[in-house]
Amino acid sequence: MVVLASPLLRIDRLTKRYPGVTALDGLTIELPRGLVGLVGANGAGKTTMFRMLLGISKPTEGSIEVCGIDVAKDPIGVRSRLGYMPEHDCLPLDQTAADVVSTFGELSGLPARAARQRASDILDLVGLDEARFRPIGGFSTGMRQRTKLAQALVGDPELVLLDEPTAGLDPLGREEMLALVARLGTFGISVIMATHLLDDVQQVCDHVVMIDAGRLVVSGGTDSLLERTGLVTVDVGVRGDELVAGLVLVGLAAVAEDGLVEVTVEGNHQMDLLRDVIAERGLPLYRLSTRLTSLDEVFLRLAGTQS
Amino acid sequence: MSMAGAGAVYDRGYRPYDGSRGRRGAATFALYKASIRRALGLRRTWRQKFAPFVLLGIVTIPAVVNVGIGYVTRDRLDNKIEIITYRNYVGVSSALLLFVALVAPDVMCPDRRQKVLPLMFARPLTGVDYVIAKVGAIGSILFAFSFLPQVVLFVGNMLVSDSAGKYFTGHLDILWRVPVTVLMLAAFYAVVGVAIGSLTDRRIVAGSAVIGLLLITSIASSVMVGEIVNGHGSIAALVNVLSLPLYLRDLVFLGHIDPTSPLAGVSNGGLFAVATYVAILLVGVGVLLQRYRWVEH
Repeated sequence: MVVLASPLLRIDRLTKRYPGVTALDGLTIELPRGLVGLVGANGAGKTTMFRMLLGISKPTEGSIEVCGIDVAKDPIGVRSRLGYMPEHDCLPLDQTAADVVSTFGELSGLPARAARQRASDILDLVGLDEARFRPIGGFSTGMRQRTKLAQALVGDPELVLLDEPTAGLDPLGREEMLALVARLGTFGISVIMATHLLDDVQQVCDHVVMIDAGRLVVSGGTDSLLERTGLVTVDVGVRGDELVAGLVLVGLAAVAEDGLVEVTVEGNHQMDLLRDVIAERGLPLYRLSTRLTSLDEVFLRLAGTQS
Repeated sequence: MSMAGAGAVYDRGYRPYDGSRGRRGAATFALYKASIRRALGLRRTWRQKFAPFVLLGIVTIPAVVNVGIGYVTRDRLDNKIEIITYRNYVGVSSALLLFVALVAPDVMCPDRRQKVLPLMFARPLTGVDYVIAKVGAIGSILFAFSFLPQVVLFVGNMLVSDSAGKYFTGHLDILWRVPVTVLMLAAFYAVVGVAIGSLTDRRIVAGSAVIGLLLITSIASSVMVGEIVNGHGSIAALVNVLSLPLYLRDLVFLGHIDPTSPLAGVSNGGLFAVATYVAILLVGVGVLLQRYRWVEH
């Protein structure tokens, strides 16, 4: 029985070794339901992780539970609840979108009539209602990506695995795809989106998992990651060096650049310290602004720290 | 409030599915149906429909002609003309190997070439299910294309005979011999064709390989067997892949190898034929299971 309160994903000491290379190394994560970004450079182990979530690649060590189901014990049960959108081209080009999505609906276990009906609805949802009877070979990259998303959704999955869903899309297509992904959350469908584009994750996901060379870098809420690693920019005129010295004394990291002081602040307590240093030294405060770092910066800093 | 009559556009959103849902069996059957549709060119252009149905017409013509002649000569009590027997008709059906060369690669190769397999195996489907669906689809079509003309022949002969009831009761053995031999033929060609189709992602290569296997083994067998003297053939006749199911047909219809066949007179020839047939089937299935052992360890 699947308990809805169970976490979306529970991974315990997951390791995958190939001859001469360790793709995943002792990964332990628990993810809540919602929109999750799986972030890492090319070759970080994202696709390997997806293959193991689907039960088509067996871990060397460790265990995986998807929606409360042990993948090793019931891979078919897991795959009945998942939708998967691979990164690479994977569609039969000589068939129509309606036929392909309908067939994949049936392959997901839906009766033929229901699969046809849902294929129509889902193609409508992803914006391909008018093109659904055209062969996929004539589709643009954006339309093919939408078709790939439609086939992942047609089986009404609890969780959709999206591997680089915006790859190859122009800026407009990318925005539309991200808007579609964001909508999935409102339908109660959880998403794990693997990408190396951290902007995409920052725009859409509630939770981020960063992996690098098969190891976990960090896992946490998107907002909390950005808040915890935020920078504060302070303009105290020509007395920037004096502020830096005062901040260093109380244990805050700060640098003066181009007449501005950039202070690394983690949490409200350190913000109070910054305020106190400025007040105690009687520094003129022309500007104080919080600058949240991007996920790129978080990734580079944390991955760099680990290595 | 928007008016439907004014051409309002509605966002229907997403509707969850709460109906019944199958697992492996349903997924396998869905792939089986999709493969049959593809093989017969259904939901595709007329060009894709042309070859299968023309071939069905060709293999049915002898039955229609035979029944026609039987009708024309129905009043000649002394010497009724029969141009083809049920046993010989199974040999006509061996021409369906051409169909296999054309269709099996089309059913197998694009899945690999267009990288559709990862999408399929992300469903409640295993490699074994995939093989069952594909072999089942090609085998079912071959069975139907081999069996339907025999049904035409049987029903036609029965109707033009003096007494349909007598004809039926007099040919009860046909009711099991034909399905059994046709099933053996269909299973053999389906496994061989699909296994070869699984080895490459290029249809033309797979199709040529099927035809090549047919021609090369046929020629090699003829050269090795040489001239049949006094009804003594050679064990080398078993090299001919095309003819192999026909030796089993003879065993079913005659109870022994046909004395005019290249395998005639070979000691335990029938046993060797069955063993070779089973061995090729097992090799074919083994190749398929290996190629679609999708879960990596």
